[in-house]
Amino acid sequence: MAEQMKDKNQQQEQVDVHYWRSFRELYRDPQLLEEKHREFKEGVTDDFSPDQLSQISRRKFFALVGASAALAGAGCTDYREKGAVVPYNKQPEEVLPGKPNFYASTCTACPTACGILIKTREGRPIKVDGNPDHPVSKGKICSKGQASILNLYDPARLRNPKKKNGNSITSVAWKNVDEHIRSSITASVESGKEIAIITHSVVSPTAKKLLDEFAQSYPGTRVYAYELFHEENRNNAWRKCYGSGTFPLLKWDEAKVVLSLESDFLGNEGNKIEQVRLFTDGRDIMKTDTFNRLYSAESAMTLTGMNADYRLRIKADRQLEFVLSLLNEIVVKKGAGEVSLSALGVISKYSLTDFIETNGLPEKVISHLIDDLLANRGKSIVHAGRSLSEDVHIAVNVLNEALGNTALYLTSSEPVTYHTLSPKDELSELIEKMSSGEVGVLINYDSNPVYHLPSDYGFTDAMKQVPTVITLTELDSETSHESHYVLPINHTFESWGDAQTRTGYYSLQQPVIAPLLDTRQKEEILLRWMSAEDNTDGNPYHRYLMDHWENAIYAGARRSVDFRTFWYAALHDGVITERAESRSFNRVNPDALGGIELPAAGEGFTLLLQESYFLGDGKFANNGWLQEIPHPVSKIAWDNYAAISDASAKKLGVKNDDLVTIETDGRSLDLPVFVQPGTADGAVAVMLGYGRTKTAVVADNVGFNANLLMSKDSRQSPWVYTGVSVKKARGTYRVVSTQEHHAFDIPRVQDIHYIRHIIQEGTIEKYQKDPDFLDEYKHDLFSITTQKEYTGVKWAMSIDLNKCIGCADCVTACNVENNVPVVGKDQVQVGREMHWIRIDRYYSGTPEEPKIAMQPMLCQHCDKAPCENVCPVVATVHSEDGLNQMVYNRCVGTRYCSNNCPYKVRKFNFFNFRDHFRRGYYRSDLVELVNNPEVTVRSRGVMEKCTFCVQRISDARETATQEGRPLKGSDVTTACQDACNADAIVFGDMNDPESKIAKYRDHNLGYVVLEELNVRPNVTYLAKLRNIHTEDK
Amino acid sequence: MNAVDYTKEPPVVEGRPALADIDEMVARPLDERPTKKFYIALSITLTMLLIGAVSLGYTLFYGIGMWGNNQPVGWGFDIINFVFWVGIGHAGTLISAILFLLRQKWRTGIARFAEAMTIFAVMTAGLFPLIHTGRVWLAGYLFPYPNQHHLWVNFTSPLVWDVFAVSTYLTVSFVFWYVGLIPDFATLRDRTKSTVKKVIYSVCSLGWRHSARHWQHYEKAYMLLAGFATPLVLSVHTIVSFDFAVSIIPGWHTTIFPPYFVAGAIFSGFAMVVKILIFVRKVFDLEDIITINHFEKMNKIILVTGLMVGYAYAMEFFIAWYSGVNAELFVFINRALGPYAWSYWIMVSCNVVFPQLFWFKKIRRSIPAMFVIALLVNVGMWFERFVIIVTSLHRDFLPSSWGMYIPTLTDFGILIGSFGLFFTLLLLFTKTLPVVSISEVKAVVDGSQPSRHGGETHE
Repeated sequence: MAEQMKDKNQQQEQVDVHYWRSFRELYRDPQLLEEKHREFKEGVTDDFSPDQLSQISRRKFFALVGASAALAGAGCTDYREKGAVVPYNKQPEEVLPGKPNFYASTCTACPTACGILIKTREGRPIKVDGNPDHPVSKGKICSKGQASILNLYDPARLRNPKKKNGNSITSVAWKNVDEHIRSSITASVESGKEIAIITHSVVSPTAKKLLDEFAQSYPGTRVYAYELFHEENRNNAWRKCYGSGTFPLLKWDEAKVVLSLESDFLGNEGNKIEQVRLFTDGRDIMKTDTFNRLYSAESAMTLTGMNADYRLRIKADRQLEFVLSLLNEIVVKKGAGEVSLSALGVISKYSLTDFIETNGLPEKVISHLIDDLLANRGKSIVHAGRSLSEDVHIAVNVLNEALGNTALYLTSSEPVTYHTLSPKDELSELIEKMSSGEVGVLINYDSNPVYHLPSDYGFTDAMKQVPTVITLTELDSETSHESHYVLPINHTFESWGDAQTRTGYYSLQQPVIAPLLDTRQKEEILLRWMSAEDNTDGNPYHRYLMDHWENAIYAGARRSVDFRTFWYAALHDGVITERAESRSFNRVNPDALGGIELPAAGEGFTLLLQESYFLGDGKFANNGWLQEIPHPVSKIAWDNYAAISDASAKKLGVKNDDLVTIETDGRSLDLPVFVQPGTADGAVAVMLGYGRTKTAVVADNVGFNANLLMSKDSRQSPWVYTGVSVKKARGTYRVVSTQEHHAFDIPRVQDIHYIRHIIQEGTIEKYQKDPDFLDEYKHDLFSITTQKEYTGVKWAMSIDLNKCIGCADCVTACNVENNVPVVGKDQVQVGREMHWIRIDRYYSGTPEEPKIAMQPMLCQHCDKAPCENVCPVVATVHSEDGLNQMVYNRCVGTRYCSNNCPYKVRKFNFFNFRDHFRRGYYRSDLVELVNNPEVTVRSRGVMEKCTFCVQRISDARETATQEGRPLKGSDVTTACQDACNADAIVFGDMNDPESKIAKYRDHNLGYVVLEELNVRPNVTYLAKLRNIHTEDK
Repeated sequence: MNAVDYTKEPPVVEGRPALADIDEMVARPLDERPTKKFYIALSITLTMLLIGAVSLGYTLFYGIGMWGNNQPVGWGFDIINFVFWVGIGHAGTLISAILFLLRQKWRTGIARFAEAMTIFAVMTAGLFPLIHTGRVWLAGYLFPYPNQHHLWVNFTSPLVWDVFAVSTYLTVSFVFWYVGLIPDFATLRDRTKSTVKKVIYSVCSLGWRHSARHWQHYEKAYMLLAGFATPLVLSVHTIVSFDFAVSIIPGWHTTIFPPYFVAGAIFSGFAMVVKILIFVRKVFDLEDIITINHFEKMNKIILVTGLMVGYAYAMEFFIAWYSGVNAELFVFINRALGPYAWSYWIMVSCNVVFPQLFWFKKIRRSIPAMFVIALLVNVGMWFERFVIIVTSLHRDFLPSSWGMYIPTLTDFGILIGSFGLFFTLLLLFTKTLPVVSISEVKAVVDGSQPSRHGGETHE
């Protein structure tokens, strides 16, 4: 019984009788048990065979289900609405996410048309550098070119065509605009009226052809060209001296002595990129220990004057007398060189001794100059600035020939002009015709004549008489506000084009991004107006350009490859070279000097209008980066001013920031005074390009519009006015600078840069006698703690002060590369500019004859960095390769590091400058695109500083790792180094004994700033050698 | 009055009040409703506090850019105020701890108030290191707390030392103050008729029953805490001075800073105590407990510390010249003759010249005179920090980076707010806690202790 029970229990366990579904189950029907044992009913699985199943595995099935779900999910949403990032559905060729692409193109920031290389990331341009293949610019560009990328993303760019109806402005579609304008133009042609196109210089052969063809298809079209700054005085003088042609290019690199007359050839005249490279090449201590010598005779302190070995203060209107006196001294007194008989008659009236006396010049310097010019006949250059009158240029031509300096005229290439600038009469005639209603259509072809043309032309009033005024422009301007149609044009980086500025090469310009806004390139606009019907999609100018290249340039070059190959090669290189005809020079016209007359020695000041180093003719006024780069000499940002000498200021009873009224022939302007050491007494210098109105939020009302002082009837040159009255006006205006101005008459602040050995310098003679003369100031430093050994790559920089001219192009490059924000005038005023590299400028000597030293100053990446040990949160640390690094995420912003930095190169985000500047200028959807994606955008409350372009180092390291080789110092260049025209910056691995940087560090002119602090900087400077006579020191 | 007998100590408490009168004298203000004058005073301090709060609000919203700080002057009013308030906070602990250990009985009348002042001053000071950071919301990074990022603070940075020095000082000062308050809480508990107050006082008095055993423990604890607090008096300002002395900036990099800062702190702290007590004794009728003798003694300390500070000023100049380092010498000449010379001469005249008047006994014992001088001392000491911080930074090694520092309205707002906070807390203190230590004063009343002269009067 018990066993039975047990058995039953077991059975109960097997079949759970507690839950039965049928009596059969309750009574444990064996058949049912059998059925329950099997999973499927009999017969159901007969058809099942694994072979017949689809071969999809379980994993694959799930993968497919997942993918379909994801696809369905993604397919049902519109990614555009969500602003999500999606991968390309068609991968563009050669675009690798995270890897930059470089495209060769041509810069249009100024008529120099340098070759550029545009760095794009995922199709977005983020950086511009020079194109190393370009025969002239050789991989370098200026600040304007560097910063032009911000113009591409300028939120103020016009976004669609606008039409003015009475006082209201409406947006219109391109189609309607084209129709309206075509009919206006046709109507104008039919009524026999003129169609005037006002453009800047034309440097593009294709654009020239286009303008010609436009004129053909619409008879009555005339093209006028003007520039605010041009070389017409030089050209006219050349024609008078030599009959024809253009002024020659110069072999700056072969000059042993340069006499620069009011010429800023290192700053903003001519092809500055090339001139700086060639000139500083003669000051490379690694190549030679005999430098070229620069004499500068000028009224305003310029970048060139700042770099001169000897500087003479001569007012612009006295330059003619100076050159003639020099001629007299050299030809008549010293009997060197020959001039024509008639010239002899002219020059014999002048005497250098008298000139020295009347102008209070240092006799010794003049006698050195005469000696040098005589000793270096055929190896010297006398160069007059473009702002000097035609007569001075003629006299300079005669002087150069008398000295045999024509040997330094470049014969292998000459400047090319596609459309000569309209002379004064032509412009006057145009304006007359405009006033009298003879002009039917006026097209301002990317030009701004209302702002640029001297007011006495009466252009603005005349423009009101023209029935149709069309302005093609990127930004609103003074001209566009008075126009009936304002048509937005592409930025350079969105445009096709080409350029030729001198014989021997052509350069190409290609778009690197599709137009961001509803714009067209200016050539395209004309091209579309030329055809009656507008059917083409895309940019017809692309085709037009290719056709012109095929028919003209390719055919002329007689290449052995087919056009397609030629074209792509040209696009790739950005430039093609061709053999230029060798040039020869005649003798100078013997009567050239006959017509010259000395300007009347008037009472009052001599006004010199200068080009802004960074804003050009005002084109870049809306570029915050450029507005904030301090003037290389005065260190003033965000303003222009009246620069006068100390003596003049005392005479006028004014000091810095006082307003003065400058008046010449009834035109007057009030602007603040700045006492610029080195300015000639009785001279006043004002920069143009400021005082823009009606443009956009950055440019408007910055500085003063000194164009108002210009006159079309200027006697000597458009930029020089004599007999100007300067009077103290009521009130002051605060001009801000990035460097304190120290009084010259307080002894305790004088020459500190020499006393503290911040600037170390000597003379060439001293160096030749004793190359180790700096050893006297070097310390034998020891440390009580053990030094960390750096065994691998260790980064270091060296800056050659002999080559650095202080142009600040490196500052711009750094801003662009490292997303350095613009802070605005109010913040510069309180010393909060964010530049990671600055150019320190030191004066010594007297306010009349200051001796100037420049020094780029950036984070010195000290081995024993004082910033590192005071940071409470370890937000600034040292890397294994010798970099002093900032950890933005960790930084709480105590600013202790900055306080403890002896070089004060750390910059603090006092605000979120991206919100602060111009009320969130940086928050615009467009301008955010300018940021380099490799560099963190810093927010408020964080310290930042130079990183030695650590993103480039990382990139190079990745590449080296991929290629399976060790990282080399030469793999990395910093942004400032790339930008330096003079190649003054050397960067690399100091542990590599073969490297360039190691040689610079070990050079006997090498020194570190504030060596005695023993912070062991990794930036060394090469001491500056002045090429002066030792007894003059 | 004229002929002082130096063989006998002057009485610490005048007028021989009965012990019960002392209770009454000190505790009565706590029983009464605040007067109209109190409300007027409170509304003034609260307005100041509000100005500070609004200024701070702007700063937190927009950033440190609201202040005058710039390159090269990274620190301005923020750290000036910090050092100033930490300095003010020095007198309390010195009076209560060091003078206690030195058995200076005259401290009893002023110790409580001075301690309260210390705590409020350090609280005010403590705000500044917090708000001076660019990213206040990350100030927690300044504390070494374990985290998964393995991030740690930098123990070589004086700012981290500051965090510990100031927080330790605040904690110990508070504990010391509170321990001293326990017997008084018990007295108040016993006196009060309000139920609410009774509960509060009972809790705060930690069950004190005035038993001999309690007194024995209390005395021991108080002594130990005094011993503990004494080195802190020296250490806090020493470490604050390290913020500057450890750096390499000329004008900061000076070995004289620790003693100089401590002397300066005591100097300014005593000046603040003098100024406030002048009002307190008048308003609360405590002339008998806080006597003119107290003031004279404090004024003597002001004179001594003022001389120490003056010595430091002279020595800084001497060493700068003696070092032969141009940058060092320049900073000091620039202080005296440069663009901020006015601040330097305010500092010298307020801290060195005017306190010399305390050589005259008449001035030492004249309430108006001492008030003016103490005020000047506080102004001078604020400018001392201004001179140290601003003039050293604004022209350091490279002339190219020199600049000027101009404070903004926000800076002044926060400065006013710090005074508002300090005085608001002080005002609230006078109406909530006994401003004089009842138990300690009772212990020094004539006749309360066995003495050689058997409790004779001093007259």
